[in-house]
Amino acid sequence: MDSNSAAFTLLDHTADLGIMVTGSDLSDLFEKAAHSMMQIMIEERPAGKTSSLQLSVSGEDYADLIVRWLGEILYLFQGEDKIVTCAEISSISQSHINATLQTVPFNPKQHEVLTEIKAVTYHRIEVICENGCWKATIIFDL
Amino acid sequence: MTIKLEQVDDYRWLIPRTGAMRVPGLVFADRDLMKSIQEDQSLTQVANVATLPGIVGHSLAMPDIHWGYGFPIGGVAAFDLHKGIVSPGGVGYDINCGCRLMTTVLRADEIRPLIKEMVLALFKNIPSGVGSTGTVHLSKSKETEVAVKGAAWAVKMGFGTAEDLERTEDRGAMEGADPSVLSERAIKRGQNQLGTLGSGNHFLEIQVVDQIYDREKASHFNLFEGQITILIHSGSRGFGHQICDDFLKMMIKSDANGQKSFILPDRQLACAPLESDLARRYLAGMACAANYAWANRQILMHLTIETLLKTLSIRPEELGSKLLYDVCHNIAKKEQHLVDGEQVMLCVHRKGATRALPPGHPLLPEIYRTVGQPVLIPGDMGTNSYILAGAEGAMDHSFGSCCHGAGRILSRTRAVKNAKGRAIHRELEDKGIFVQSRGKRTLKEEMPEAYKDVSQVVDVVHGAGLARKVARLRPLGVIKG
Repeated sequence: MDSNSAAFTLLDHTADLGIMVTGSDLSDLFEKAAHSMMQIMIEERPAGKTSSLQLSVSGEDYADLIVRWLGEILYLFQGEDKIVTCAEISSISQSHINATLQTVPFNPKQHEVLTEIKAVTYHRIEVICENGCWKATIIFDL
Repeated sequence: MTIKLEQVDDYRWLIPRTGAMRVPGLVFADRDLMKSIQEDQSLTQVANVATLPGIVGHSLAMPDIHWGYGFPIGGVAAFDLHKGIVSPGGVGYDINCGCRLMTTVLRADEIRPLIKEMVLALFKNIPSGVGSTGTVHLSKSKETEVAVKGAAWAVKMGFGTAEDLERTEDRGAMEGADPSVLSERAIKRGQNQLGTLGSGNHFLEIQVVDQIYDREKASHFNLFEGQITILIHSGSRGFGHQICDDFLKMMIKSDANGQKSFILPDRQLACAPLESDLARRYLAGMACAANYAWANRQILMHLTIETLLKTLSIRPEELGSKLLYDVCHNIAKKEQHLVDGEQVMLCVHRKGATRALPPGHPLLPEIYRTVGQPVLIPGDMGTNSYILAGAEGAMDHSFGSCCHGAGRILSRTRAVKNAKGRAIHRELEDKGIFVQSRGKRTLKEEMPEAYKDVSQVVDVVHGAGLARKVARLRPLGVIKG
């Protein structure tokens, strides 16, 4: 994932916010979903000292996995004050992801929060493959 | 999916039972509001909730209903304690998001020139916005105490008086809170956020009572025309969100392990049988978040009082601050209701709905026993808010529930688009409302056109007999996160 790789469509939702993301394969889809979420939340290319961390996430199926994957990245912001700037997936299956994340520390005086995403919901969650293209629909709680 | 509707009377619409629905749906709305309700997915959500096991009566929706996640916002559903379920999505992420109204003896005509100064001082002293941290830092053991004692903890620490507890739903502390069920993450997120307003639709508003509808009840509520009131809308912050998220994931996992004998129409409706250990643990965690939210609003009110005393250089008796009531909007509660002529205990989910107890209800504090519970209905920041009193119709038709606000009509993205090129703060200032907000997009997302007409919403609950109008409040100053 890099800052140029987001490709998402905003979905209209009365109270919250939804996105539809597409990817050439599963890793691409999950990486783009992560970047899209961060792009909605935080200004582009946040400055700061970069650190690296390993993330492993397990889920029941693709849909559960993408909610948990995004939920972990969101928690890093909410609970650890870390902005994820890059996510590279090293392995992915229907129930597991291993990834390396690059983060910078969140500084409210320095970084502009565009939209506060409070949770990644399961409402209308969908991860499907159509004609060889992977597509995910995700609704965020704002 | 097209949802069939049958109009019952001027204020009620039935969604007949079809497919997997176990009970019919019932929506409180007038013809005009129903048109906008039909434009989003909320009626499908009412029908989805009706498929959950053990649901009793109807899957209900208040007139401020709009599309949520899982349950609609404005949804009310009651479940049998033996055959029924509890759903974290039916309570929401912001557990015990709610509001409290404080009255004063100040008159708007006396302090109008000082409104700007008051708003700026409140904006400075009350932490708001994304990632804001409070003036109270909690050690793990203190946080545990907050989670069990709720608003009483805040009062013990000097943030208010014992009288405030009398005027708070459940006296500001829900029974059954058990911090041992909480995750480390939930505890961590709760440590720095007590005494913070939050962001999004949370706000603090300085208002004036501009119309009285019921003089007797208004007098009982100590309300008079021209009076300054303060309305605070906030919740359990990241603490509640984490608790909802943790248990939702546990219930999804439990479903995946085959512990469920029905098909969920939406995964966000993940739930656990009320008799299960998982449900017991969720309700114990939910109560911790509810209590945290009550402590939070208690501290926010105290910070408001301190700020107003200092800014206006007046003595406490000259401010005359008094809590009218504090109600929650997002909760699941075990309550007694009359079903088919029998009093039964049910688990009532209110997701964006307010309790509205009528006169004489045993759960009412003595001070409101003869008039009914004060029901607080905030509008958008550009129009009005209302104070109502719970009425008998709520016990007959809505499990003692009422609407909780105006209800969104525009998505946030649509609102921002519509507000492009406009200075919302200036438009509001032209209407005599001085606003300060932390988030860059907040004012656009929350602009008045993004919401339904609160007067219309309130007229429906009044007309349907769920609650009776007592007074209308007009905003003079607003702080947003």
